[in-house]
Amino acid sequence: MNRSIFLTILTLSFLLTALTGCGPERLDDYSDVRFELTDQNGESVIFPDDFRGAPLVVGFIYTHCPDICSFITANVGKVYEELDNPGDTRFALVTFDPERDTPEVLKKYADAFDMDREPFSFLTGDPETIQAFMERVSLRSQESFSRDLDDGERVYFLNHSDKILLIDQNSRLVFDYGGSMTPINIILEDLKKL
Amino acid sequence: MKRTPFTFFASLFAALLLPALFLISGCEAEQPRTDAEMIDGDGIHIEGTWARPASEGRMSAAYFLITNFEEEPDTLLSVESDVARLVEIHESFEREEGMMGMREIPQLQIPAQSTVRLEQGGLHIMLIQVTRTLADGDTFELTLNFAGHGEKTIEIPVRL
Ligand SMILES: [Cu+2]
Repeated sequence: MNRSIFLTILTLSFLLTALTGCGPERLDDYSDVRFELTDQNGESVIFPDDFRGAPLVVGFIYTHCPDICSFITANVGKVYEELDNPGDTRFALVTFDPERDTPEVLKKYADAFDMDREPFSFLTGDPETIQAFMERVSLRSQESFSRDLDDGERVYFLNHSDKILLIDQNSRLVFDYGGSMTPINIILEDLKKL
Repeated sequence: MKRTPFTFFASLFAALLLPALFLISGCEAEQPRTDAEMIDGDGIHIEGTWARPASEGRMSAAYFLITNFEEEPDTLLSVESDVARLVEIHESFEREEGMMGMREIPQLQIPAQSTVRLEQGGLHIMLIQVTRTLADGDTFELTLNFAGHGEKTIEIPVRL
């Protein structure tokens, strides 16, 4: 991973945004989609409608991934902790492994990060919905390798995009960050501008 | 893998540890710590240990720095623990643009007079299906098997 190139591009994009007179140029607009998801408490959550009206920081994870995905989850948590005035800002982690990441599994995972509380949502859904959602946000995943445990259980792992998205109060995509590699103060700066 | 030259560490220890030792020795000699090994500059030293919280049956990752003070390289052959059903040495890496993957590192080389860092987003000890819930503040043991230095058991604190 070439972080310096990434950071240069990020810096340039900031400068460009500043130069163009901060017109709300957005990368994408999700206001025309509707995905019915389920949170860690089993409650139905509609993306993006239920998040309209406030900024949303959303990361993509699967809970069998303790390194990169824990990093993403912890980063989303840190953005909230370090935000001076979070206001109504919402924070979500969405799984791309709905077969294994049920609401119960997500609830325990959230609890392990001390994030089973407001303003965090851990979201899953039926596999078709999640697949359509991941396609819409350009998140790719594929099975990589697996292990057979002594009782015959098969544990598999996934290759996946590393992403945190910042979505504004009107369901438009402000920025698509490298999830685990982005210094969180960059996300904090972008949030302050909303 | 990121390795820091020995000279950097040697000067770091000289700058930070020696004054600290002078201060400690003024108080009491109650802590049988392995710092002497570091000052002597031999053996394998592990520091900065921590692991992610996880609920029973789920995954965790452990991280630390391994410093080899010897003139000879060593190899971490395997890691064992009763805290997980499977313990492997792993590395997260970028497969292609923006796509992250994980792979097993069958044997981890620790070059002479170098530090190998196991840290978030890179090398880690993968704990597959932990046998008990690892909560913030808990600790557990890992046994590292080195080709040259044999078994080394270390304590890992769990934190967020
Ligand atoms: Cu791993």
